[in-house]
Amino acid sequence: MSAIVVENLVKCFDRQWAVNPITFEVPRGSICGFLGRNGAGKTTTIKMLLGLLHPTSGSSRLLDCDSTTLTPEVRSRIGYVSEGHRLTRWMRIREIEQYRKSFYRGRWDDRLFAEMIEYFELSPKQKIKQLSNGQRAQVSLALTLAPNPELLIMDDPTLGLDPVVRRQFLEGMVHLIMREGRTVLFSSHILSDVERVSDRILVIDGGVLRADCTLAEFSGSVCTFVLSFDGRPPETVPLENALQCRRGEDRWEISILKCDELALRTWAEQAGARAVQQRRMTLEDQFIAFTAPRTGRRKLFSWEDRDGMA
Amino acid sequence: MGLWIQIEPGSSQPIYAQIVAQVEQAVATGELQPGDRLPPVRGLAEELVVNPNTVAKAYSLMEQGGLVATRKGSGTFVADPATRSADARDLNQLGTRMDTIISRGLSLGLDDTALRNMFRERLARFRRRRRRAKNE
Repeated sequence: MSAIVVENLVKCFDRQWAVNPITFEVPRGSICGFLGRNGAGKTTTIKMLLGLLHPTSGSSRLLDCDSTTLTPEVRSRIGYVSEGHRLTRWMRIREIEQYRKSFYRGRWDDRLFAEMIEYFELSPKQKIKQLSNGQRAQVSLALTLAPNPELLIMDDPTLGLDPVVRRQFLEGMVHLIMREGRTVLFSSHILSDVERVSDRILVIDGGVLRADCTLAEFSGSVCTFVLSFDGRPPETVPLENALQCRRGEDRWEISILKCDELALRTWAEQAGARAVQQRRMTLEDQFIAFTAPRTGRRKLFSWEDRDGMA
Repeated sequence: MGLWIQIEPGSSQPIYAQIVAQVEQAVATGELQPGDRLPPVRGLAEELVVNPNTVAKAYSLMEQGGLVATRKGSGTFVADPATRSADARDLNQLGTRMDTIISRGLSLGLDDTALRNMFRERLARFRRRRRRAKNE
């Protein structure tokens, strides 16, 4: 049974589609990176998963319990970190620990919490409002891991954090997943972090789910070829699955999904290409090629523009 | 003797491939000897801060390629390279990588003899390192 099951989930705000029907599952035991550009629908989806936002239609289940009717017992097995690590500002660390602990009866690991606070060089007496952003995130991490959640959902937990605290979040995720049957879903824009700790990814784009696969499947399926021509390159690229295609003075740069290399090379030869080279891509390059606007002859900024201006 | 793996996320080489390449190199230089034990998957995952499935994937690829062997219940061990056999695909990939090096050498103005000598020299160095590691 999967830890998260989403079926045809839809959210409309004032006749605007925030999330078009999306369907996916996150299997137990995996760390799933939830990717998408700003405004793609990640936070809206996460809020619906946790029952904080009512879906327009469709449904989702966490640990086999419907999101809209999560019982306190099921909630105590789920950890949630909202964007920005919002914590009650007037409380001391000790007080916020007691407050949170009351929701996680029998699950709270006092020692782990104390050890983490000590490791972060914080004192239980400190007030939340006196902490820096990084320290507040550290308290939030300790509060999240102390109840040993079966399912952990984090909305961009490392946004704006320094590299040390960011790494501590990644270590926390890897540490948690070592225990049997634990599952993590987290959104992030830092692709190298996602690459480090995830084994699955979801890519949402304009409210539509565009990828739901293992990290290896994704990185194996987006590639970029550079075709060089002696004269003017052809006007269009008649290739299936083309993602972002950019035409330069004497070349086409073609990003393509699940590339049929034979078809590409055959077309290149017919079109008179002098050379076909495959470009090395990082996960970030692949994400950009996958989610950037399809059309457009050139980059946003290009040296060719300068020639026009001169 | 021992294994020191360092990974670099955000590069064009996937993390599992980086792990495989580094174990391969450690075996080639004799840092790792046949029969040496690799760290357990979970231990290495926690140390490198990567998903345990990524490490498991690297281990299973190495096992498929005959670089290591898993003994039930006791761990993963470096296999004897003498028992490995490279297939056509392996050789093809190796050839492509050699091409990159040869192009670079030619572009630096080295001739065939200079390139051959350099290759021999580096090969001998690997041999020496392996011998030294064995005697330690």
